[in-house]
Amino acid sequence: MNNLVVSLILLAIIGLSITKVVIEKRKGVKCIGCPHAGASKKVTQIKLDGNNCGCK
Amino acid sequence: MKIALTGNPNSGKTTLFNAITGKIEHVGNWAGVTVDKKEGQIKSTLNRTGMEMTAIDLPGAYSMSPFTSEESITSEFIRTENPDVIINIVDATNLNRSLFFTSQLLELNIPVVVALNKSDMTQKKKTKIDIAKLSKQLGCPVVETISTKTNNNGLETLISKVAEIKDNDQVAPFVATGVKMDSKTSVEASDKKRFEFIKKIVTSVENRKVSSNKQTSQDAVDRILAHKVVGLPIFAFIMWAVFSISQTHVGPMLSDILVGWIDNLYALVEGGLGEGVSPVLSSLLLDGIIGGVGAVVGFLPLIMVLFFLLALLEDCGYMARVAVIMDRFFKRVGLSGKSIIPMVIGTGCAIPGVMATRTIKNERQRRTTAMLTPFMPCGAKLPVIALFAGVFFGDAAWVGTSMYFAGIGIIIIGALMVVRITGEKNARSFFIMELPEYRFPSIKRAVVSTASRGKAFIIKAGTIILLCNAAVQIMQTFNWQFEVVAEGAQNTSILASISSPFAILLVPLGFGAWQLAAAAITGFIAKENVVGTLAVVYSITNFIDTEELAVVSGQEDIASIMGLTSVAALSYLVFNLFTPPCFAAIGAMNSEMEDKKWLWGGIAFQFGVGYTVAFAVYQIGTLVTTGAFGTGFLPGLIVVGALLATVIILIKKGDAKAQFKATPQKA
Repeated sequence: MNNLVVSLILLAIIGLSITKVVIEKRKGVKCIGCPHAGASKKVTQIKLDGNNCGCK
Repeated sequence: MKIALTGNPNSGKTTLFNAITGKIEHVGNWAGVTVDKKEGQIKSTLNRTGMEMTAIDLPGAYSMSPFTSEESITSEFIRTENPDVIINIVDATNLNRSLFFTSQLLELNIPVVVALNKSDMTQKKKTKIDIAKLSKQLGCPVVETISTKTNNNGLETLISKVAEIKDNDQVAPFVATGVKMDSKTSVEASDKKRFEFIKKIVTSVENRKVSSNKQTSQDAVDRILAHKVVGLPIFAFIMWAVFSISQTHVGPMLSDILVGWIDNLYALVEGGLGEGVSPVLSSLLLDGIIGGVGAVVGFLPLIMVLFFLLALLEDCGYMARVAVIMDRFFKRVGLSGKSIIPMVIGTGCAIPGVMATRTIKNERQRRTTAMLTPFMPCGAKLPVIALFAGVFFGDAAWVGTSMYFAGIGIIIIGALMVVRITGEKNARSFFIMELPEYRFPSIKRAVVSTASRGKAFIIKAGTIILLCNAAVQIMQTFNWQFEVVAEGAQNTSILASISSPFAILLVPLGFGAWQLAAAAITGFIAKENVVGTLAVVYSITNFIDTEELAVVSGQEDIASIMGLTSVAALSYLVFNLFTPPCFAAIGAMNSEMEDKKWLWGGIAFQFGVGYTVAFAVYQIGTLVTTGAFGTGFLPGLIVVGALLATVIILIKKGDAKAQFKATPQKA
């Protein structure tokens, strides 16, 4: 039973980390956690050069 | 509604953008910080119109005729994207220069609002500007703003003016006619007329008490700080002081508190697991996740203190002087004077640093700078520096400082090599940078900048570093048959079998253990992983002593666990700092270089430099300290010899190419 609980906790932690990485990557963030990536995420809407990440 | 924020470099566009949108884009008290456009919604507290307003922060430009690539982003955006309104941020302390661009914007028939920024500084200088008269002469609203202030900063008035004039036709007070854009004389004559027009306006609206020709106390400070001889030692001393405060005094004290919390969490979870839990699962949770991530997060306060101090230096205007100090060295080795900007930005993160190379017009100089910028130790490398300085050198501040100066030295030598290899004539480059005035640094801005970096560090630790540490722990626990390896037999694990072949190559550098090789490999995903992986593979729960307020607990114990001498540790540190950066930064290099040959050449060069410097540090250091060369001297010498021979051959080829170009060709 203990093993099951610990396994679930581990899966939850790793799952959350993977989800966060996937969400950030879908936003177009190149470097996870980058504080400057968010502000320019909508740049594709104004179709300047197709970039959607401030780091590109 | 689309609002373009434009203005000269260092007029305060990004500070104003952050103030009206609530974003935290990086600002710097010097020109060239913004090299790409940024977008954000105007805050509802400023926007009372109910309309959706989007502000686009554009890189600084002096004119609509682009001279640099970031200026072309600005002029192209304004010409092709038809913003509804332009907010032209004008530096109130320098009207003469700023209004040249304003007069060009007014010709585009897009409504313009002038934000007369830095109004507080004009008041300090007792300069009076007749706002109503200026507005009348320009034919557009002019609003005084102080974007660094929280209240009474004029921003609400600015946004309401934007809403008011959005559908107006803009009348230009000066129209350049009959200019032949392909004729330099014609363009210059037109610019001259425009300057005369601006001069007339400025004379009629501005009343200066302090002449710009007078020598001020700021000039006196500059004569010392930016001096061609003493400027560099002063910079070295300042960097030493920054490292000393962040890594020896204040940083460890704060880290101690954080590590105490991590230790408590570890003990709580360990106690909570109780008996009967599989050792594989408990070690994955305790050593892999809490221990590995905790080891990296433990260094967070040190890094935040360091970034806080660097933010203060940047905000007070000192970093712009560093650019001037370094300019003459860089120009002599064939780099652009502008190369210093990416390198200073690269001390925070190599990715925006590499990205900032796009301000360099010359292709060879741009690519060379993109290749060399990652040699400046970035924020992700700081935990590695702090760890090794703490374990092997008693928190000595000279370790961090010398790594920065070693990075600068490598950049200079590397640039010289690239010039010779490419066989291109050293292009004369001019670096004209407006030096911002010294000002008392804003604690608020430094705190905001540090907090955003701290948040980024925690997110990275909770995602990439956590996943890597978990993977390392799993690969260390199992062998290829997916059986749990016996205690003390980790040499048979998946991780050991993958990293051992690399470890052999590293023997001449003084660190042939597979654990150290594994940490160096995971460092290419994110450099902080070096610390996390070392914590996992050596089962060290934290590197910071909670009792003695030192960076590392049981320094001698950790040094002996790693099996490294001080010289080998320095070699390992140098190897991790000066081999290629993380994959994300390599991706940025790829984007900016736009050439696979340059990219792969750059990566090979970075590997070659890291290997050679680490080899030299270990072998020479061992010779000096013990009187004999270290392990693997001969094989290492062969590898380094082969690398140097390759460089010499490439230089010879480059010289031949240069000679061929210089020889007049017969028709």
